Amino acid sequence: MATTLANAVDTLRWLATDPVASTRTGPTPHQVVFRDQKAVVRYFAAKEPKFAPLFCVMPLINTWTVFDLAPGKSVIEALNAAGVPVYILDWGRAGPEDAELPMAHYVDTVLGRCLRRAVRHAGVEQIDVLGYCVGGTFLALHLARNPGPARRVFFLATPIDFHKAGRLSAWAKPETFPVDAIIDGYTNFPKELMGASFQWLRPTGSATKLKTVLDRGHDPAFRKLFTAMEQWNGDGVDFPGTTYREYIKRCYFDNATMRGGWVMNGKPVDLKAVAIPATTVAASEDHIVPPAAAFGLAESWGGAVTTKTIKGGHVGVCAGAALPAAILEWLKA
Amino acid sequence: MATAPNGSPDLGKLGDELYQHWERAMSSWWDQVLESPSFLGSMGQNLEGAAKARGQYERAVDDSMQKLHLPTRSDVVRVAKIAAQLEERILQQEDLVLDLKDQLARLEKEAVQARIEAAEARLELRETLGVLRDELVAARTARTAAVAIPSGDAPAAAPSVAPAPDPKSAASARGRKAGA
Repeated sequence: MATTLANAVDTLRWLATDPVASTRTGPTPHQVVFRDQKAVVRYFAAKEPKFAPLFCVMPLINTWTVFDLAPGKSVIEALNAAGVPVYILDWGRAGPEDAELPMAHYVDTVLGRCLRRAVRHAGVEQIDVLGYCVGGTFLALHLARNPGPARRVFFLATPIDFHKAGRLSAWAKPETFPVDAIIDGYTNFPKELMGASFQWLRPTGSATKLKTVLDRGHDPAFRKLFTAMEQWNGDGVDFPGTTYREYIKRCYFDNATMRGGWVMNGKPVDLKAVAIPATTVAASEDHIVPPAAAFGLAESWGGAVTTKTIKGGHVGVCAGAALPAAILEWLKA
Repeated sequence: MATAPNGSPDLGKLGDELYQHWERAMSSWWDQVLESPSFLGSMGQNLEGAAKARGQYERAVDDSMQKLHLPTRSDVVRVAKIAAQLEERILQQEDLVLDLKDQLARLEKEAVQARIEAAEARLELRETLGVLRDELVAARTARTAAVAIPSGDAPAAAPSVAPAPDPKSAASARGRKAGA
């Protein structure tokens, strides 16, 4: 008991030094190979390439560093070590000047251009693609309307059946969520509101986090991961207004990814039209994108779909060893 | 109740159990609140009110800045949008140039391939002609030999090598005949 108390006091002292402020995520060396205004394609070369390159589409609402939290806790580092060259699509930070950009700008123009440039840089005809969270949804929408160089696709915690997205589905309803008024007032959907809404998905989450820190905060490995996760979590990005409006209305209100009837920039969104094989991986304790929301892909995708669940939460899954192992297994298949 | 190996209460485990009970109770209460239509309705109204207030504040600040002849947020945003549009046009041109470069490379590859194929065909033709010439020479030699060797037991005459007819003169002769 005395040791536990001493550890907790030590942890509190450590927390008082504000360790998150001095933490930097994204430590793996890389080069920027293309810029499309704010979007950036980052290339992480493998020392001994054994696989074809992998192009990863990150969510628009957070920074890309969730895939590169800290040395030893990085999806990119693990993939590079296994011989996978990785390209990351980092959307950058939206500002008020991006508020009127429609979803098609991101889904078709930016994603398409970045994908083509990555393919050109890699000097290959086709490339394997991966989408995480909303990045996965954007990738699915892109592939549904732009047959391109993607050979096969890996979706990680990607919502497709938005009416099975747990509490977010319950909240994001036209009668209770005034998306138009919010965007009219704020221009973009503010990162602070986004962060707060994620926090309220699990109201006891903060208390649980504090308890976990007090219990395990004496462990240096835990401290490293905790500070990296906190840094990333606090480093949100505003969601461009017009795109957010369309995303909420078409996805959460209409569930158009499942039901169809969505025409974007004059082209229908039809996931059934995609023939390339897909693997969709859900995190077992994900309260943002529950497995049911991710596995909607099996009903809506045109090509063959493999589903898999790995242990972890929506973000925690990116810090474990199970995710790189699942990606490598998919790449080897 | 959690007890330590010596039988005394294990306060650490007890704390964990208490926390878990509290967490479950709180979660179930919050579940009811956070999904109740009345709560969500009120939250929606609050959000709408806050967003409207924010919009009015932004407009008020812009108005004040305009009165002071200072660039407003909207002005800065407009300039940023123009810059973004220009960058987009440059990127489109870059895409076009890259596409053209790809097409040129493809055409160049096809042209080189065609030249290689033509050269190969010529080489093949030359080889065929060579073989035919060899066969022709061999046939002539054989014919000459057959003409030179008389039948019977007569002594072999000295081999006479008849000159091969000149194809050009033969052709001109054929031409003269045809003309006649």
